[in-house]
Amino acid sequence: MSFLRLEGIEKRYGAASVINGVSISAREGEFVVFVGPSGCGKSTLLRMIAGLEEVTAGEVFIDGARVTELEPAKRKVSMVFQSYALFPHMTVRDNIAFGLKMSKVPKAEIERQVAEAARILQMEPLLDRKPRQLSGGQRQRVAIGRAIVRHPKLFLFDEPLSNLDAELRAQMRVEIARLHRELGVTMVYVTHDQVEAMTLADRIVVLRGGRVEQVGSPDELYDAPGNTFVAGFIGSPKMNLITAAVAAREGAALTVTHPSLVAPLHVASRQGGGGQSGPGVGDTVLLGLRPEHLMLGEGPNQIELTADLSESLGGSTLIYAQTRAAEPMVLQAAGRRLLGKGETFTAGFDAARAYVFDKDGRAF
Amino acid sequence: MPRFGRLLHGAGLLLVFAVTIFPFYWMVSSSFKTQTDLLASPPVWLFTPTLANYAEVFADQKVVGAIVNSLIVAVFSTLLAVVLGTPAAFALARYDFRGKSDLWFWFISNRFISPIVLALPIYLVAQNIGLLDTHLILILVYITFILPIVVWICTDQFRSIPRDLEEAARLEGASQFDIFWRIYLPLGVPGIAVSAIFGFIFSWNELLYALVLTRRAVQTAPVVATSFMSGYELPWGKIMATGTVIVLPVTIFALLVSRHMVRGLTMGATK
Repeated sequence: MSFLRLEGIEKRYGAASVINGVSISAREGEFVVFVGPSGCGKSTLLRMIAGLEEVTAGEVFIDGARVTELEPAKRKVSMVFQSYALFPHMTVRDNIAFGLKMSKVPKAEIERQVAEAARILQMEPLLDRKPRQLSGGQRQRVAIGRAIVRHPKLFLFDEPLSNLDAELRAQMRVEIARLHRELGVTMVYVTHDQVEAMTLADRIVVLRGGRVEQVGSPDELYDAPGNTFVAGFIGSPKMNLITAAVAAREGAALTVTHPSLVAPLHVASRQGGGGQSGPGVGDTVLLGLRPEHLMLGEGPNQIELTADLSESLGGSTLIYAQTRAAEPMVLQAAGRRLLGKGETFTAGFDAARAYVFDKDGRAF
Repeated sequence: MPRFGRLLHGAGLLLVFAVTIFPFYWMVSSSFKTQTDLLASPPVWLFTPTLANYAEVFADQKVVGAIVNSLIVAVFSTLLAVVLGTPAAFALARYDFRGKSDLWFWFISNRFISPIVLALPIYLVAQNIGLLDTHLILILVYITFILPIVVWICTDQFRSIPRDLEEAARLEGASQFDIFWRIYLPLGVPGIAVSAIFGFIFSWNELLYALVLTRRAVQTAPVVATSFMSGYELPWGKIMATGTVIVLPVTIFALLVSRHMVRGLTMGATK
């Protein structure tokens, strides 16, 4: 039974279409992440779940009830804003208690709830401060505190970590994951950061141009991206995509060639049967290789490259190189393997880790 | 060059300062002079101060009564304009409705009309409804002047409050009134304070309508002060002392309220 369900959601501002028919659902207790580049409609979608934005077409269901036209407060959802949206003239205590006060909860009960939230978020000493006296991370915590005291059915996060510095972001990410585990509430989280998506999500919804590109667990999206957009978006550094030619096809397997490939490469379809659809002999395809799957010198399949630049990350090295067809290629090699500009080398990879996309970008 | 620029800058400031402050200084210092010192030519810079002028002012029931009248009129017109103007400003800042820009322009256009144009019509209306020489008519007239100022300044102020705050409050179950009362009003204090100062100063200093619409009962301070400027010999000392007494409450009010005019009150709301 799905706890949150969006059916054919559309959003238009005048002639501009922002969301073009999105249907997704989430189970109770699931952590769903909407991810996509800016302008893909992920925040708009979240705001429509919250009720802050009207839907042009489609339906929203929360916990089995149709809430499409219901006002925000009655949907029993809490939202953490990118800007935190704390009330600057109120203390932390009053900020957290605001929603409870609005729903006329008895004073003693409010006290108890606020204390509980403060305990969970470890911010008891901050209760009497004003937001301006807090650091970014603390403000974030207050915003989360304000969200949890109301015991919402649904937690919505709109890029909550994007205003924090890298270290704090990692810390808060872990904290949000912990919170999800402890509270067991359904959470919908919007981000443009694929690392946040990968680490937090039970399920990722990749959006582009107001459409769902793919839905799946982080591993599913990583292992079997449905198209080149998802392939490029999930994983860091990005997947390398080079143009190859199909030399032969046997059912659900292709043999592809590329000037840099030492020998023709046999790749099996990831989409099951393959059938007669998909690329045929003579077609050009995109061959996808993830930087972390390319090993210097080793591997059953070899590709010849010319180095441009190397960056040592301490424990590993990023090597920027070019294929013989002058396509850029990034490798993530273990250890420190600094290669000079112009140096030629071979990298190996496992055919099972190679991805093939047809010329429209669809996965084979 | 920067040195010369700084000098020029300082000289300019000094000039502006002298031009604005000197009349004020002249009024206050003259209020402590005897009639002889006052009329001395060349002017006397060092003199023995006297409180005689003030004694005379406070002994004059007309002056004391006028100050009370001015206070009543200024306080109520400012208060009512703020009470009426802030919800209007909230609506203009945050709602979309038909005729919004026309309404906004209407508020501004109120100030296009020269006050004297309306003085006579308002006099006739006031006479017909029997409101001549009452506090009420002055308060009503002054509200029409102050309200646009309040709406102007507060609309701008309210617009600067991040929308996220309103949305967060809505999600938390706040009604539109709660949002206005608990979020916009407290965060709009700087704008409200500024418009209240403007309004108060306007009502306090207003002479034209006060002169036209009042007779004996409700004469305000500026009216009384100017009324001294008739007759054979002008009591300059008393006029200056009255002037000083009139300026004092506005100055105190402005100082009290300026504390709330600090910018950056919304800091920390959003990053």
